[in-house]
Amino acid sequence: MKKLEDRIIKKIYRIETEKTIGQIISEVILIILIFLSSIFVFSVIVEILNEQASFDLFDFLRDDFETIRINFLNNSLLFIQELPLPLIYILIGLSLLLIWLLYILIKNSNKVKNKLISLYKFWFK
Amino acid sequence: MAELSDKDVIKKIRNGEIDQYSCIVKKYTTSMYRYIERRLFKKEETDDLVQNVFISFYKAIEKFDEEKPVKPYLFQIVQNELKMYYRSKKPTTSLHDDIYLEDGRLQDITDNDYLSHLNQVERNIFQYISNGYSYEEIAKLIKKPVNTIKSIVRRGRIKIKKTY
Repeated sequence: MKKLEDRIIKKIYRIETEKTIGQIISEVILIILIFLSSIFVFSVIVEILNEQASFDLFDFLRDDFETIRINFLNNSLLFIQELPLPLIYILIGLSLLLIWLLYILIKNSNKVKNKLISLYKFWFK
Repeated sequence: MAELSDKDVIKKIRNGEIDQYSCIVKKYTTSMYRYIERRLFKKEETDDLVQNVFISFYKAIEKFDEEKPVKPYLFQIVQNELKMYYRSKKPTTSLHDDIYLEDGRLQDITDNDYLSHLNQVERNIFQYISNGYSYEEIAKLIKKPVNTIKSIVRRGRIKIKKTY
């Protein structure tokens, strides 16, 4: 019976090892991919805004307080109108996805840590 | 150290402490084994089934209601595994490799023993089929409707099945 128990436990550990490693690798790859995509989309947006000279709208910030107070609202609205909206939506979507994935990763970190400790103890000790 | 209850063990397993699963395995393997062995009488297959039961339970542990007792749940899995086992052991009629069906036609009937149980018309049609003729072509060759050919083939197949 002891032999059978050992066989069952070994099988369980093998399944769990495959599952845990697969899960960690896929999550990390997904997070890296989304992070890189976000950076890429962000750089494209900055590039577009640079080409449009949209950042010049904030030159008034170097002036005195009164000028800033008068121009801030108008120029900000103009700047928003000049933003490439489809790309902004994509960036927001990617950021939300990234936050959600990081939240899941952090939420499950304790569980994954315990699993890794158990797996380490079983396979290497 | 005081022995943990099943509920606590399951909570710990859900929290990633998979080494705790050995408690469940050690506690219930004997009873599962005896129960299955009384029905199968084969050691190797009993071992496999017990293993499958614990693997199934482990996979379902996230969904398992920890307030409920473990043993009845395990026995339910045993029942299902036994059902699947009996189903897999159900006798089946295997067709000879030479007469398996593909694309609705019989192919490669090379062994004349099969054909000896058929009458002349059926035998001719089966020969045509083995030579790659379609039902339509055979119907034209022996001047009979396509549906008649199909019926003859069906009857022939039943005869062969009954014989082997």
